[in-house]
Amino acid sequence: MTRRILYWILILALQLLVLNHLELSAFIVPQVFIILLITLPLHLSRLNQVLIAAGLGLLVDFFTATPGIHTSACLWLIVFRIGLLNRQDLKQHIANRLPYTVNSAGLVSFAYTAAILVFFYHLYLFFIGSVGAIHGANYGLTVLSSSLLSLTIIAIIQFSTTKRI
Amino acid sequence: MQQLLAFIEQRLHLIVFALLQVICGFLVFSLNPFQQASFTQTANSVTDAGNTMSSDVTDYFDLKYQNQLLQDQIATQFQNSTIGTLLVSGDTIELKDTSRKSLYDVIPAQVVYNTTFKANNVFVINKGGNHGIHKNMGVISSEGLAGLVLKSTANYSTVMSLLNTNMTVIPNIHGMEYYTKLLWVNEAPNVMRISGINNLEELKIGDEVKTGKSSMLFPSGISLGTITKLDKNPKSQYYETEIETATNFRSLEYVFVIINRDIDQMEALISDND
Repeated sequence: MTRRILYWILILALQLLVLNHLELSAFIVPQVFIILLITLPLHLSRLNQVLIAAGLGLLVDFFTATPGIHTSACLWLIVFRIGLLNRQDLKQHIANRLPYTVNSAGLVSFAYTAAILVFFYHLYLFFIGSVGAIHGANYGLTVLSSSLLSLTIIAIIQFSTTKRI
Repeated sequence: MQQLLAFIEQRLHLIVFALLQVICGFLVFSLNPFQQASFTQTANSVTDAGNTMSSDVTDYFDLKYQNQLLQDQIATQFQNSTIGTLLVSGDTIELKDTSRKSLYDVIPAQVVYNTTFKANNVFVINKGGNHGIHKNMGVISSEGLAGLVLKSTANYSTVMSLLNTNMTVIPNIHGMEYYTKLLWVNEAPNVMRISGINNLEELKIGDEVKTGKSSMLFPSGISLGTITKLDKNPKSQYYETEIETATNFRSLEYVFVIINRDIDQMEALISDND
């Protein structure tokens, strides 16, 4: 439990203190903290998942001064995740109270789910963030480049931490 | 009830999700200046579009009433004008006797039946004896002369159209009356002929033909049409003249019936003189 809390704090610190201040390019704004939602334990009730997503979103909004934007995106992400995981056979994982990780779900299944959710999250986040003044090409480029970098960092984190937590 | 509760329990996460999204929407569009400005701009555009659409629809359904108002207004203006009372006009002097009212009452009416394809065309209006309309009253449109009342029932009247081979009017061009006849010869709708104008008269295409003072049924100065053809025949001393009627009979919708209040007194005087 302590390890899990520490893991959450570290991921949030990485997002809020490092990634949010990288300034690699205006088109690269990776949102890695959503790995916390993607890897939520599978035995959690749907309602709890929604409430955790809202809480995490509010926390990130508080530190990034974007009231409601991350919260809304996190809520969409968790509902989308519930829908996606419903299509996968995860009864054994639920019974064993496992989190949804590369180790528990398998590389292909996890990569597929994570890629869709990360892309969807960035797509929605940048849409809400620039609503009313969306430039198609810039928007597409930002979503793609940020999603790719986020997925890369998520992959690194997964392979380096999954066995330990 | 149990089924309902089970349904709510099963979908509780979606209900909470929806509620939280509503709160997020409020937060996003009220606490983020950029999103707030975008929302306000979009809301204004939608409101403007809605207002315009609403106004268009309201205006459309109000057209009938506005049309009626306009007709009444035209009728009142016409009645209060000095046409047909004492109007002396010339190149430089125009005297109008505003101390007395017009000889004419004007009743607006709507055309409910109309023909233009026969030799003797008539149209029917939605006013009749109950409105003071009787046989031999003049009928005009907002564009010009339209016809003569043939017959009236309580609420309807038949009007002999200008496009009727039995209808003749004495034309007045440049203030001069020509004691010949303006006739419809059933050649084309809205085209009439005048025969018997001497080709020494200084007329030209485009001259307006009006009613004169030789008829007590219409005020003078009501447009009959404009000259569209003016041919000199070397074998004749008269012009061959074609007139395009001022009133477009194929789209005739509203007319005004002219009632000469003093026609009985005037006819009595004229018959005494004869």
